[in-house]
Amino acid sequence: MRLIARYAIDRGDAIEVVTRYDETSESVHLDAKAPAISTIATTHPAAIWFERKLSDDFGIFIEGAFDRRPLVHHERFPKNLHPMQKSFAQNTLDFAEFTPYKFEAVGGDGVFEVAVGPIHAGIIEPGHFHFSQAGEDMLHQEVRHFYKYRGIEKMVEGMKLAEAKPIIERISGNESVAYQIAWRDIAAQAAGVEVPLPLRRYHAFLLELERFIHHWIDLGFIPNDAGFGAALAYASRLAEEGRRMMASLSGHRFGFGAVTWRKQRIETKPILAWLERMAKEAAWFEEWIMDIPSLWDRLDTTGRLRHEKAVKYDCVGVVARAGGVPVDVRMTPFYIEHGYRMQTRAHGDVGARFKVRLAEVKNSLEMMHRFLERDAFSMEVSFAKEGRYEAFVESSLGELYMMVEIEDGAIDRFFARDPSFINWQALHLMMPGNIIADFPLINKSCDLSYAGNDL
Amino acid sequence: MLRFWEKRALTGVVTEHRGFENDIAQIRSALKDEVKKRFAGSLAIRMVDSGSCNACEAECNALSNPLYDLERLGIRFVASPRHADVMLLSGVLTFNMYHHVMDAWEQIPEPKWCITLGDCPVMQAPFRQSFAIKGPAEAHLPVAYHIPGCPPSPEVIMRGLLAFLRSLD
Repeated sequence: MRLIARYAIDRGDAIEVVTRYDETSESVHLDAKAPAISTIATTHPAAIWFERKLSDDFGIFIEGAFDRRPLVHHERFPKNLHPMQKSFAQNTLDFAEFTPYKFEAVGGDGVFEVAVGPIHAGIIEPGHFHFSQAGEDMLHQEVRHFYKYRGIEKMVEGMKLAEAKPIIERISGNESVAYQIAWRDIAAQAAGVEVPLPLRRYHAFLLELERFIHHWIDLGFIPNDAGFGAALAYASRLAEEGRRMMASLSGHRFGFGAVTWRKQRIETKPILAWLERMAKEAAWFEEWIMDIPSLWDRLDTTGRLRHEKAVKYDCVGVVARAGGVPVDVRMTPFYIEHGYRMQTRAHGDVGARFKVRLAEVKNSLEMMHRFLERDAFSMEVSFAKEGRYEAFVESSLGELYMMVEIEDGAIDRFFARDPSFINWQALHLMMPGNIIADFPLINKSCDLSYAGNDL
Repeated sequence: MLRFWEKRALTGVVTEHRGFENDIAQIRSALKDEVKKRFAGSLAIRMVDSGSCNACEAECNALSNPLYDLERLGIRFVASPRHADVMLLSGVLTFNMYHHVMDAWEQIPEPKWCITLGDCPVMQAPFRQSFAIKGPAEAHLPVAYHIPGCPPSPEVIMRGLLAFLRSLD
């Protein structure tokens, strides 16, 4: 059983904790006065962050937990305040006294620690990495995040689904279309309608275009971090072309506001020609890059996540598929009919993740060919029934899970688990045996989201 | 590698908007002394993300793709605030980032300027004011210039940076 998420909902006199696995879902009601629940981190290590978040958000005591440090709440967050409780209604929060955070570190003679972040050297989101080093060799790494914690789960409470959409599509800029499709699936369920085929095809086209852009950025940055800048120049030009295609279709370079209940008539001829040209560019890039031994010397065997570890940590997305774990939400008749082919590799190293991305770009182009339709379409959707709704979408990073509970026509509880939230927790497994100069390569090959993770 | 050089020769220079180069030449001559004195002929930017969705950062990264190539104008992103003239701030200034942003600002040597990027730092993005957000940025920092957009496109960012340089007159 694969763990997908563990989250709580405030029910007034009780706190409901939901544990979502891929096939089942468990629900437990806790006493709101002294909420406590047993840890599942011994069988699912990826539950650690979910459980630390439960303590921060709701004040739930995790029985048997070996890590009780705060996760979302940083050094100056007031103690014993749990913002996701319904009773928490403060509009502003004052900084409390500084409480140091104890990092995981390896002790011993000659072992030293390297701290990186939260503001990194390049143009990149804030996060913190803490390494234990023996000379050049990395022994251990702790990932610390939530610098970008905007409190979005709380922010959208009380909003109507349509009102919350502009916020939801801005949770993570690189995955905007994926978040919007998750929103669409939930809105359609709440309205009791099926999303019609023309819209599904159009949105799937946009999602593959988003994946195309995101993968090209990585395909450039991974070789760039190994000192091969020419690849970045080439790949970033293709990513830019993808952004411009997104802008010409949706009016926005990141597709903000692209997923709606209507679709304009599309001039398909130039797009088909563009897809063909991009397929040629991708083929040229592959032939060129595969032939550079000094580059593959850096990529192969670096940052290896073994198959059994990827399974144990419930990994998703490119990180899982590169280690031979076939997890992909697109494994459905709809996608397979439109040319989807699962892309996996066995080694789980930086090179494997690079190859999975390249293969997925080519597959995305094929699918986009088949998703493209000329005709316009429009429908009306408004009524939102009460209830709990879930959605799964394969974003460019992996499986995205979203849950919305609607009461009196407004959002009562919003929960989103970005694929990064799971994969960040597995990142430290890729470190031992590598040198610190390989860390940028490993990090970039996973290319996880900070914004989506921190929410 | 031969294949690459062949491709390189056939592709040529792809930079767009040659107008920007004329603009910067004009600004350079207008601000000759100022830029020389303050920026030693080039502008160094430290980008700080205080809680964005990453779209603003993606667009700043796009500034160095071959179609824009910002560095040809003598404007570059640096790794440390201590090397910077300007702090380019994106994001809503979260509760958890507040002290780190202030720290980065303090590390930039005088004279220095803060430019806000995108709708988030001025609280114009759809995000509501909440316990986890300390924005707007101008309540805490002396903001010299603002580049609007959600996110501003690379072209808008370049125009904004040039307009900022002009505003120093």
